[in-house]
Amino acid sequence: MRWAATGFLLMLVAAGPGRAEPVHVVDALGRGVALAAPPRRIVTIFSSNTELVAALGLADRIVGIDAFTRFPPEAATKPVVGGRLGFSVEAIVAQSPDLVVLTPARQAVHQILDALERIGVPALVLTSRTVAEVVGNLRLLARATGVPERGESLASGLDARLAAVGERLAARPCRRVVLVTGRLGNGLLLAARRDTYTGDAVRRAGGCFALAGNGGVPQVSPEAVFAADPDVLLLAGSADELAELVGRPGFSRMRAVTTGRAFAVPRAEFLIPGPRTVAGIERLAGLLHPGAAP
Amino acid sequence: MTAGIGRPVLLALALLACLVFAACAGHRWAGPLDLARALAGDPDLGARLLVAWRLPRVLAAGLVGALLGLGGAIFQGVFRNPLAEPYLLGSAGGAAIGATTALLVPLGIPSGLALGGLSFAGAWAATVLVLAVAHGARDTAGLLLAGVAVAAMLGAVRSFLMLALSDESVSLQVVLSWTLGGIQTPTWGGLGLLAGLVALALAACLPLARGLDLLGLGRDQAAAFGLAPEGFLRRAILAGAFVVAVAVAHGGLVGFVGLVAPHIARWWVGPRHRALLPVSACIGAGLVLVCDGLARSLLPPAEIPLGLITAAAGGPFFLVLLRQRMRA
Repeated sequence: MRWAATGFLLMLVAAGPGRAEPVHVVDALGRGVALAAPPRRIVTIFSSNTELVAALGLADRIVGIDAFTRFPPEAATKPVVGGRLGFSVEAIVAQSPDLVVLTPARQAVHQILDALERIGVPALVLTSRTVAEVVGNLRLLARATGVPERGESLASGLDARLAAVGERLAARPCRRVVLVTGRLGNGLLLAARRDTYTGDAVRRAGGCFALAGNGGVPQVSPEAVFAADPDVLLLAGSADELAELVGRPGFSRMRAVTTGRAFAVPRAEFLIPGPRTVAGIERLAGLLHPGAAP
Repeated sequence: MTAGIGRPVLLALALLACLVFAACAGHRWAGPLDLARALAGDPDLGARLLVAWRLPRVLAAGLVGALLGLGGAIFQGVFRNPLAEPYLLGSAGGAAIGATTALLVPLGIPSGLALGGLSFAGAWAATVLVLAVAHGARDTAGLLLAGVAVAAMLGAVRSFLMLALSDESVSLQVVLSWTLGGIQTPTWGGLGLLAGLVALALAACLPLARGLDLLGLGRDQAAAFGLAPEGFLRRAILAGAFVVAVAVAHGGLVGFVGLVAPHIARWWVGPRHRALLPVSACIGAGLVLVCDGLARSLLPPAEIPLGLITAAAGGPFFLVLLRQRMRA
């Protein structure tokens, strides 16, 4: 009887929220990350990583975020471990994390990774160079956190939605697009580049790049945008910001603007590489190819 | 006699107080007992943080400060100008180009190694370039002008690299924060290397003391006392450049310390470089230790760039000393 009860308890533990056996994964930098047990206290550096962890249903395990994280609301109120003035190793350690998820942007890897390795806190580095890698990050994180089935189910669903968009647009010519991601004080613009996940998202939504050679330097002059004469002008931001941009000298006479094909798209969908990117691709596909709507 | 013994003891006690303050300061204040427990091998995560992260950084801060104080004293002696500072001959611009490359270009070598190595190489190469352009140290005014021109050119190159290599993820901030100064936390092995370099710098600079004193009398007088001014100046500048290059490789561009530490030292021990050089190094160490402690603890969880603290906190401190001095 006692053995039966013990067996039942063991089954309950095994069927719990996370698998208890050790996990070993390889991160985006090729580092092996060994976790003795599924992490219960996770610090996520950058909004994208917070969103990925929360999408796996693990928001309650997040114990630290950076100051720019706004979504999801249940994660946005967690203790802040860094922001515009960099990240604090001491603030991270104060949360006693058993996993830190970070991305090589701003000063994160430079400031944090070396320190965490020295004091023995596991750190998982994720990169997002393509949309496929963003979806793959869900699978990787799910394995690291002991919920691989959940990650596989979520990632397969996103893959299926991306495939559906691809099928709808297969026979359609791409729309020449300029996606403005920022405006600089000196009048220059920041434009999405081909070799980023944002560029990949634009391609998957049936867009192609109107700006010649926009693979390296993100700063472009308005003159280059006028010369490119895109079919569609996109701005990652609000409708008010778009109105300000198209009201500038020269923009109001662009073909994309006069034909009503200048659109604002949410920054969160194109500048935060997480699950919401797929919704952004679906939305953008509808804007670029209205006739191919499902 | 008492003053002779008292000053080193006072200096050592002040340095020790700065060291303890810096080791205790941080996101969480650690008491001296916490430090002792951590050093005794406490396995707690917070204790591991103190030993593996905070203490090496604190000691590195002291060593970088010592280099800045030493470098400042040498350059003020070389140029016989109280406004001279360690970055005068293009080393800041050269180091910044090296750091920009290390921070924004994937080089396939560990980032800490690339950052330290390239910023050291940049600082050293810029000073050597200035010396070459100005035909050695024949004319200090020409040397200064060459330094200004090289610094301007290097600044333009760095700005272009920052714009060209940055992306949507605000990489500009990485370089900007480096230019505002910040101590790189070394491993214990790296700290040993830095301590060795500081010892080497002191060994190279202390013998310059007599020449710098003679130079203070003017080139002709110095020559009359048997000093060959041109060769000596070249040697002193190269030694100073080495000191500054090691400092920027470990601490970025920390302003103000190299300018004020020699002045405070001069007010205390007088203008003779035999005492001025080591005392200026100690005062630089104390200033950077305290400022780095403040940088890590004033605005948690953020860390304020060290160069901002040295100027913002060191400035008023220096002005108070200056006022007292002028009144006396």
